[in-house]
Amino acid sequence: MNRRRASVLLFCLLTAVAGCRKQPSAPPSPADRAYDVEADWNDPQRMISLGYRAAQGKRIFYTQCVWCHADATPAGPSNRSNVTPTPPLMNDGATLNKETDPTLRNAIALGGSALGKSAMMPPYGRTLTDEEITDLIAYIRAIAQPLYQPPAQPAAGAAGK
Amino acid sequence: MPAEHMGRLPFRLRYIFAVSSIVFLATLAISPVKDLQREWKHYKRGYVRFAEQRPDTKRLLADVHPDIDQIWLPEMNVVDRCTTCHQGMTQPSLADASVPQPFRAHPPMPHSPTEWGCTICHRGQGPATEVAEAHETTLAWEQPLLSVKFIQGSCGSCHQGDLAQTPKLNRGRQLLAEFNCIGCHRLAGVGRPVMLGPDLTRIGSKTSREWIYKWLKEPRTITDANGNVTVNGYETEEAPRMPQFKLKEEELRALSAYLSSLRGQPVPPYSFNPRLVAALAKNPEAVTQGEVRFRQMFCSTCHSLAVTRAGETKLIGGDIGPELTKVGSKVIRDWLVAWLRDPQAYLPHSKMPRYEWSDEDLFRVTRYITEQLTDSDLLKDVPALPDPASEEIQKGRQLFLEKGCASCHHIDGVSPQKDFGPDLSALGAKNVSQLEFSQSKIPRTLLAYIQAKITDPSSVNTAARMPQYHLTADDLDAVTIALLAMTGPPALPGLRRLVVERQEPAFQPAGAFGKVYERYKCYVCHKFNGFGGDLAPDLSYEGSRARRPWIADFLKNPQTLRPTLVLRMPQFNMTRQEANILADYLSMTLQHPSVDLEAADAQKFTPQMAALGKELYEVKYQCQACHTIGSTGGYVGPNLTNAGNWLTPAWTEAWLRNPQALVPGVIEPRRSFTEEEIRALAAYLQTLRQGAKPTTGAASHGAGQ
Repeated sequence: MNRRRASVLLFCLLTAVAGCRKQPSAPPSPADRAYDVEADWNDPQRMISLGYRAAQGKRIFYTQCVWCHADATPAGPSNRSNVTPTPPLMNDGATLNKETDPTLRNAIALGGSALGKSAMMPPYGRTLTDEEITDLIAYIRAIAQPLYQPPAQPAAGAAGK
Repeated sequence: MPAEHMGRLPFRLRYIFAVSSIVFLATLAISPVKDLQREWKHYKRGYVRFAEQRPDTKRLLADVHPDIDQIWLPEMNVVDRCTTCHQGMTQPSLADASVPQPFRAHPPMPHSPTEWGCTICHRGQGPATEVAEAHETTLAWEQPLLSVKFIQGSCGSCHQGDLAQTPKLNRGRQLLAEFNCIGCHRLAGVGRPVMLGPDLTRIGSKTSREWIYKWLKEPRTITDANGNVTVNGYETEEAPRMPQFKLKEEELRALSAYLSSLRGQPVPPYSFNPRLVAALAKNPEAVTQGEVRFRQMFCSTCHSLAVTRAGETKLIGGDIGPELTKVGSKVIRDWLVAWLRDPQAYLPHSKMPRYEWSDEDLFRVTRYITEQLTDSDLLKDVPALPDPASEEIQKGRQLFLEKGCASCHHIDGVSPQKDFGPDLSALGAKNVSQLEFSQSKIPRTLLAYIQAKITDPSSVNTAARMPQYHLTADDLDAVTIALLAMTGPPALPGLRRLVVERQEPAFQPAGAFGKVYERYKCYVCHKFNGFGGDLAPDLSYEGSRARRPWIADFLKNPQTLRPTLVLRMPQFNMTRQEANILADYLSMTLQHPSVDLEAADAQKFTPQMAALGKELYEVKYQCQACHTIGSTGGYVGPNLTNAGNWLTPAWTEAWLRNPQALVPGVIEPRRSFTEEEIRALAAYLQTLRQGAKPTTGAASHGAGQ
């Protein structure tokens, strides 16, 4: 009788110890696992998680591109209204989602005139490295509204090479 | 024991033998089975199954073998078995988010995992082979995995200086410096400024005891629980300066008594020309004229004021100096006059330039400040404070030391307590067992400890002397990252080699230029060879860029054509001689080595070249997208209306060839102009001249920087 009670007690104790050890921790939210975040331009409450690449793209965007491709800039008024035709906002998914990665790469590297568009978009191929342009495209894709859907085929184009 | 006795063992004992042998054999048999079930083997098999479904199976399985994988870097003390489960880490075809973990490829980054291992950046336990032990804190392992949100803290362990790729770390270090944490704590990689808070040796001659009482109770800058900063009740983006200490009534009385008793050597009040005073004192316009001068001199570049426009009150102006909306209720007029004439005589380390004042201006501006920038309600809730008794002063002096005031504020003859707060220079490497959690209910991790301590210092230590800082969630994370980066001096020689030291630039010119440079504090806003502020353009190569006459004129009369800019170069009222000294030094010494001023001669530019340049500017390259000429164009780059008077032809040509070679990181893209186009554009820009008045190079101020 005594033995039985002891074994029951031991069992309870072991379960309790095991229970202590394997305490499931709450899974971190996506933003907690992101290298950086960016508030959705249309909905500042929504945080978009950026991976390492897109986070680097964000930095390049805010140094080079923000002046003409956003309505608010770190230095105040935007230059967007001085440029004709008006350049697309960088989160304008309706315009940019349909462009493939290579097209965006060409637009950034070679400038508007090389694509038969406005010469007011200068070429950045000699200013930014290939890698930086890849980062920038990753950022553009991440902040797009409506959301960007990568092409169905996981082709080599996704890697940008 | 004889053999026959053995055969006669009781049945019961034999039975026990038999059963225990079976149990023993069964136990032995379990261990290989158990070994097969090990967690990591499960993931290894899972990876093979996963790879077999992929089109590039052969490449994915090329290096797979059934044992534990490990990255072993003895000199860095790295034994990382993470790749045992994270098999696809170096496979570019597994980069997509649809690939299940733990097989997904590591995103591309500056350091290769095979050379650096994983735990150097991600923390966790490298040698562990179980998921929980590798990633979390368990009884035997103390270092949990660092969430990617805080990963920049690991970059900072080696990179002591700022990196472009780690904005949160840089922000955190900047905040540690702005909050003057170094006043009480020992920190790594955060420089100690010459002056933390203002020197209070003579504070009694500057302001009243009532004002000190009010300030100690409610500092001018207050941060609420959401991290919103208000200055004098107006919301601002400014960083808070002095934190709010929770002081009792008698402490407020004692401290204000002590501080107001500090008068030091009395400064003889400046005596204005009596005839001038007589004329201006009667003039009702004097205060308004003072305001006009205050604006014209661009005091707002460093000091902000509350301005009400369309029913909304906002602080407008810079944050280099204190906000001044109610300063008239603070300062004593004689002190203000003495301060404006020579700030460094009162505070030797002040960043305020020593302006050249005429008596009229000084009189009018001080009248404006003491009569207009006031708030009659400011000291309303301050109780009547009689002349301080000597024991009150004594008590105040003691409190000044006990509360840690002396860690940031210098008073002659009062030496601060050494190491007032704990040493934080190796906080990031501390194990949980080294931290004091007392009764708090937070998780027992370093990360939780740091965040709880900053959010509410008394949460982990009820006797904490640290004042309350209210940070936004982002800033809290940034400060946490910067503290995690302080892992102390590396223990191993291999790790010591990885440390990238912080470089502290310095530029302290001597001679006549040095004197004027120090008088007007050029370096507070401008950069010289990497040293100085970044509010205004970098002047390291100004001598190659700008023509000497333009520099001299600009210094005498700084103007900008940018109506949108609030922050502009102040009007220093410098003498012609001082302007010449600065212009001579800038144009002869601060030159770029690769710009040969002799090589490009404006004389060789022909009208045909200029005409071609104009066409290139307007049609082919459409430079007007970013630059303004006259009244049309963009405002990303500097205004070029007066480029002919301002820029040297040699600089223009070199700039068009490769802007980043002259100013690294400048945003103007490098184009592929032909040499002919470059000469044509330079020729065109040289034709752009405005009358006698200089325009600005400072136009690159805002957007251009």
